[in-house]
Amino acid sequence: MTPTPATVVAVGAGQASVSAVRMLRRRGFGGRLVVLGEERHIPYQRPPLSKEYLRGDADAEDVTILDPEWCRTNDVELLLGTRAERVSVDGAGHRVHLTGGADLVADAVLVATGVRARRLPGVDGDRVVHLRDLDDAARLRTLLPGAGRIAVIGAGLIGSEVAASARELGVEVTCLETAALPLLGQLGPEMARTYAELHRENGVDLRFGRQVAAVAATPSGVVVRTADGDAVEAGLLVVAVGAVPNDELARASGLQLDPVAGGVLVDPECRTAVAGVFAAGDIASRFDPVAGRHVRVEHSDNASRQGAVVARALLGLPQLAEEPAWFWSDQYELGLQFVGRPRPDSTVVVRGCVDDRDFTAFYLHDGRVHAAFAVDRGGDVAAARELISRGTPVTEAALADEDTDLLDLLDTVDA
Amino acid sequence: MTPDAATVEWVAVAPLAELRRRKRKQVEVAGRVIALFLVGDRVFALDDTCVHKGRSLSRGTVWKDKVVCPGHQWTFDPATGRADDQDACQPVHDVLVVDGIVHVHPRSDQAEERT
Repeated sequence: MTPTPATVVAVGAGQASVSAVRMLRRRGFGGRLVVLGEERHIPYQRPPLSKEYLRGDADAEDVTILDPEWCRTNDVELLLGTRAERVSVDGAGHRVHLTGGADLVADAVLVATGVRARRLPGVDGDRVVHLRDLDDAARLRTLLPGAGRIAVIGAGLIGSEVAASARELGVEVTCLETAALPLLGQLGPEMARTYAELHRENGVDLRFGRQVAAVAATPSGVVVRTADGDAVEAGLLVVAVGAVPNDELARASGLQLDPVAGGVLVDPECRTAVAGVFAAGDIASRFDPVAGRHVRVEHSDNASRQGAVVARALLGLPQLAEEPAWFWSDQYELGLQFVGRPRPDSTVVVRGCVDDRDFTAFYLHDGRVHAAFAVDRGGDVAAARELISRGTPVTEAALADEDTDLLDLLDTVDA
Repeated sequence: MTPDAATVEWVAVAPLAELRRRKRKQVEVAGRVIALFLVGDRVFALDDTCVHKGRSLSRGTVWKDKVVCPGHQWTFDPATGRADDQDACQPVHDVLVVDGIVHVHPRSDQAEERT
């Protein structure tokens, strides 16, 4: 086993870095810990930016995840407004090169540079918003109430969360999506239709199969024209068409990238091919032993878990069992949660009532649950997680029967 | 907090039998909404409103001796209210089971500050 490093530098100040740093200190790591944040803001959570923060139910100070006081108490050096350009191997250690010429010597480096919003070529201006960081969210929050109607390009998680938040503020929304249904790959056709209905009944004008052809500024906002001749006039345009990895540092450092999904290739313990260099969070394409391939995930829980994986690897601690991917999306007062990996050839079994927006949809294949979508049924998620990770054989009838305790379906009840 | 909460003592809230099946139940004591959980053979009482985002813990579940919030899957130690991997702590209340009846002693805010 390699000795515990004396200095760890985390590049990036998001969920993955914060989780790693907190776990390291909690587990008694006594070495030097440095976190580099490119933004000047105190490290914060991104999930609320399209939800509570956007609606005005939370402010910047409510969404922080690593406050300077904790850093002082726990001897963590938090360097904000600091960009790292490159990591080089320097003898037995590493050197992290900062913009401006300074550098830091480290025994281990965590690359957690995240992703940024994908941009549509030529679509920009003072009435166009891409939502990724706190400054974007602050701008959107200021512009939203006076927008009258907003146009949203993309009905993925960010697009639909912005749509939901806007509706809750009484702003009209037209949402354009290229696919036939929202989150189709994640939810499958049946539940994607339910998801679309949820937005429609809350007043979102959802239009599918629309390819954006042109965006032009008007005196009062923007007009979006689609390839099939549709035109949407709005006071504000939100572009939510996915994200691209911030891989400049990885490229400059010669780290191996995933040619398909993008991001930095890492092993199950988040190690890159360069000894002592790790990658975690949205930037990492990690070899998933269960799936048998590299998977890159852009969700907060994944980043937290991978940060913890890095901390354990650095300390030589055993890793926890693999857990199925999980994410949530709070919309229209409903708690939506998804766990597991979608596959197209599954049967959907509903527990609860879809019309009441109080149900869990289980995705079954070969008599086993491999994913679940819970709508205001977070109580089912712990059991769904276990059913998925254990591959427990279940019947459709038992899942659908509300009188069956899901935890009783597990092989062994540890509770 | 209602002023009488500090003066209220043991309150009978539910028969233990009602907790056997679902292992959880929401009750109200002196204007305070409390979630009861049956973990193994012990009953625990926590504030029902999650300290994280205000979801109702009694709609959650008990898994591996922890209370799991349905909102965002935070897990709490039922005895101390401490959240795993978080700085937050869910207020907890004392519980006594007498003759098959669950009694709760709602903790006042002053008592919380001392812990």
